[in-house]
Amino acid sequence: MDMLHALISGFLQCFNLSTFNLMMIGIAIGFVVGILPGLGGPTAMALMLPFVFKMSAVEAFAFLLGMTAVTATTGDITSVLFGVPGEPTTASTIVDGHAMARNGETGRALGAVLMSSLVGAIFAGVALGAAIPIIRPLVLSFGSPEFFMLSLLGISFVSALSGEDVLKGLVAGGIGLMLATIGLDPISGIQRYTFGQLFLWDGIGLVPITIGFYAIPETIELAVLGTSISKKEVGEFGGVMEGVKDTFRHFWLVMRCSALGTLTAIIPGMGAATTQWLAYAHAVQSSPNKERFGKGDVRGVLGPGAANNSTLGGSLITTIAFGVPASVIMAILLGAFIIQGIVPGPDMLLPPPKGHLDLTFSFVWVIIISNIITVAICFLFLKPLAKVTQVRGGIIIPIILVLIYLGAFAEKNAFEDMVIVIFFGGLGWVMEKLEWPRPPVLLGLVLGPLAENRLFLSTDNYGLAWMHRPGVMTIFALTLFGIFYPMIKERRQTKKKAAAQSEGKTTVEEPRDKVKRFGPAAWFTTATLAILAVALWQSRNFGFRAGLFPWAIGIPTLVLAIGQLGRDLYGRKKKKYSDIPEIPETEVAPEDVKRRTISVLLWTLGFFLAIWFLGFSYAVPLTMLLYLKIAANESWLMTASVTFFTWLFYWSLFEKILNVPFPEGLLISLINGG
Amino acid sequence: MLKSLSYLLAIAVLLPAPTTAATAEDFYKGKTVRIVVGFSAGGGFDTYARAIARHMAKHIPGQPAIVVENMTGAGSLIAANHVYKVAKPDGLTIGHFIGGLFLGQVLGQAGVEFDARKFEFIGAPITDHVVCAMTKASGITSVEKWMAAKTPVKMGGIAPGTSTTDNATRILTAALGLPIQLVTGYKGTADVRLAAESGEVSGGCWGWDSVKTTWRKAIETGDAIVVLQANRKTHPELPQIPQAIKLAKSEEGRKIIEVGIHADSDIVRTYTLPPGTPKERVQLLRKAFDDTIKDAEFLADAKKSNLSVEPVPVDEVERDIGALFKLDPGLITKLKDILYN
Repeated sequence: MDMLHALISGFLQCFNLSTFNLMMIGIAIGFVVGILPGLGGPTAMALMLPFVFKMSAVEAFAFLLGMTAVTATTGDITSVLFGVPGEPTTASTIVDGHAMARNGETGRALGAVLMSSLVGAIFAGVALGAAIPIIRPLVLSFGSPEFFMLSLLGISFVSALSGEDVLKGLVAGGIGLMLATIGLDPISGIQRYTFGQLFLWDGIGLVPITIGFYAIPETIELAVLGTSISKKEVGEFGGVMEGVKDTFRHFWLVMRCSALGTLTAIIPGMGAATTQWLAYAHAVQSSPNKERFGKGDVRGVLGPGAANNSTLGGSLITTIAFGVPASVIMAILLGAFIIQGIVPGPDMLLPPPKGHLDLTFSFVWVIIISNIITVAICFLFLKPLAKVTQVRGGIIIPIILVLIYLGAFAEKNAFEDMVIVIFFGGLGWVMEKLEWPRPPVLLGLVLGPLAENRLFLSTDNYGLAWMHRPGVMTIFALTLFGIFYPMIKERRQTKKKAAAQSEGKTTVEEPRDKVKRFGPAAWFTTATLAILAVALWQSRNFGFRAGLFPWAIGIPTLVLAIGQLGRDLYGRKKKKYSDIPEIPETEVAPEDVKRRTISVLLWTLGFFLAIWFLGFSYAVPLTMLLYLKIAANESWLMTASVTFFTWLFYWSLFEKILNVPFPEGLLISLINGG
Repeated sequence: MLKSLSYLLAIAVLLPAPTTAATAEDFYKGKTVRIVVGFSAGGGFDTYARAIARHMAKHIPGQPAIVVENMTGAGSLIAANHVYKVAKPDGLTIGHFIGGLFLGQVLGQAGVEFDARKFEFIGAPITDHVVCAMTKASGITSVEKWMAAKTPVKMGGIAPGTSTTDNATRILTAALGLPIQLVTGYKGTADVRLAAESGEVSGGCWGWDSVKTTWRKAIETGDAIVVLQANRKTHPELPQIPQAIKLAKSEEGRKIIEVGIHADSDIVRTYTLPPGTPKERVQLLRKAFDDTIKDAEFLADAKKSNLSVEPVPVDEVERDIGALFKLDPGLITKLKDILYN
């Protein structure tokens, strides 16, 4: 009865006029923060902090939660439309969501991602409410060994993310885990793979890698094909309802991914950056007919769309029940708690007057209400949003480049992050061309630190005895099942299919091509091998504490990479039979492909150099102008107006409102200094 | 309605900030000051920093936005090195990492890349008061029970060289002969607390002001119990809890406690600026820090959230750190052995 009373009281608190209005302001800010890549965390917080502390408890939480709850929803929109992740937590939506946009299914992708986001958010709210009686015993039953095993289970998901090539996927996952070790090691502070570069001390960020990995190859492809984002002319922007219907067609999948998001986020250190990929992997693993994944399968949009929203419920559980916050925004929330004299802990789960259950329930309601409002607003704007994908490539490319560099820089205000974007952009492009899966790298990168920390804690506490714990063994069994069951199932299905189509177009073995044997694929694998070997050689001096993880990951990855090289050199290419016809690519002559590729690469690099030498304020309008006039051959009117509006957007938002400390260009400071 | 409108208005009015920079006073207008905290959010370091961040802006001319940034890892060594080498000395970065790292430099701790004598200090809000707190479930409810424990008692740690938890725990093991197994690698005391509640460790040794704020409920209900304290003065809130130095087995043990815990406690929660920060901005921030600590609103906030305030002046901080560089070589060898092996 008390519980019900608190539930209703929490609901009513959200509709107190000033609370509701603040929630709306929060939603509005979160909307923008979500859409703009790189913007989130510190920059937005710098703006909000002074205001938050003048509010009452419920107001502050409504404001902050309203803001947080919608970023994952609107971030998905940017990912779908531009292939640039709006938030690091929405990168996985690109894989199939942006592919759908390319296929002319923008409306359907947006409809699906918004609807599944809403379902995920409601699930998060309900789960948070329903979990209240069992939260504490549930979390306390897990220790470091179980946390380690769970992160291992997460890493094992790479096998599902690898598409048709498990070996490549495992190597890519290993590379991601190795990338995660860059920086000062968290136990003894030894430098690992920093090459004397100070900016590498804190490791490489997820944001620049994600932007580079996806946005740069997309931009190159856009330039090469010379089309708008949507390759097909789409007469009707409908399909939105189709996407909404998809959510309910695959409702069980959406629910499972929502649950996955909420549950894994209870583990301290697991946020939506991880859960989105787990959900994506789960969608791939559990779905029949996987051929369309990566090429625009709506199920690949629904899974992460739901999970990156439902994660908030799990993060809030640890914050509320234990005072261990999962993210920057949770930390601000916690600060607000403490300043109100509210100590997160068991009290938050008791009905008033003994505790603050009504406040906890108001969180539940804010999550649900703010997402309903956001999704409703988004649906109103879907048509103009979807039209973006029909804008000429020549106009959209420089705008995407501005977003790429702004997003990379503004996350940490670090110039070097733009270099990281370019490096990983190149790497991502090569990987895409050679059909190496990119998601396992990102999954390894986000799970690496968690796995390393918990492995060390487990070993330090229990020696090797942690392996015998029942929880550990259960999760291990689950992991094995997760890896092998789909393989066995797949094999059976393949056999069945092969039997059914025994004559006609079955597997065609290409004759070995002796001349091409040491082609680009083999070169890439060799380079990977060499880098891994050098990394392992360097790690010999790390000592046990800092070296344990690089050794444990590096050696098996090296062995797997050798296996891959063998396949590149001696393997037979299999031509897969497929029931689904390939979507016809726009025909571009090979010499045009080469010319356009070189051109867009030079423009991308040139933009970076312009930022370096002239600073953002001059580089943005100058590069825009030159690109639109020279590369895209637009009319002067078009060139001038697009340049002006992009510059206005950049200047008013980043320079004026956000006060981002952009570095002065090298030349400008020379002129000013001399 | 009016209230929220006024917030909206305030946001709209405050946002467009002129960017001309000339004097130190104008300099802060429209800027963002970062407090780089070396531990995870929700722990004691973080809680103090956020409370200070909230009130410090109004004491800096130009009223910059102040944000707290958690840069965890290596027991705040990553943050310390960052403030020393990476952060620009422009008065827009304030470091808050653990003072035990200064002793670490003297002892030659691996990974230290700073020279403590070159930092600019701006003060500390509180003298740390080391206590060891255990969960009731662990059965270690008094120091006698601890002494008598048959198997080593598991204590949560963060990283070698961290004042609290690790240095304090290791020194108490050596000086008092307590049976302890230190499990190190937690991201901060919030994570140690969680591990203690789940039974993975029995407890940990860190500052009383942090314990009583962030573990308030458990202390009140008796689910967590303070069994030992280590400070020059007995804390007025802990009159019955035994002092570690009185239980030390030898003169050497007492000396190690004095150097490694007591002397360290003044500098544990120091706020620092990168070396080379312009003098006038150092002065300005010192004054702003002092004013914040005395600010009635800050004190009211601190009281509400159970944070004690007992500032340590800059000259005392500098004196304590200077003394570390004059330690007896024999003691240095001994401490090295205890803290890093």
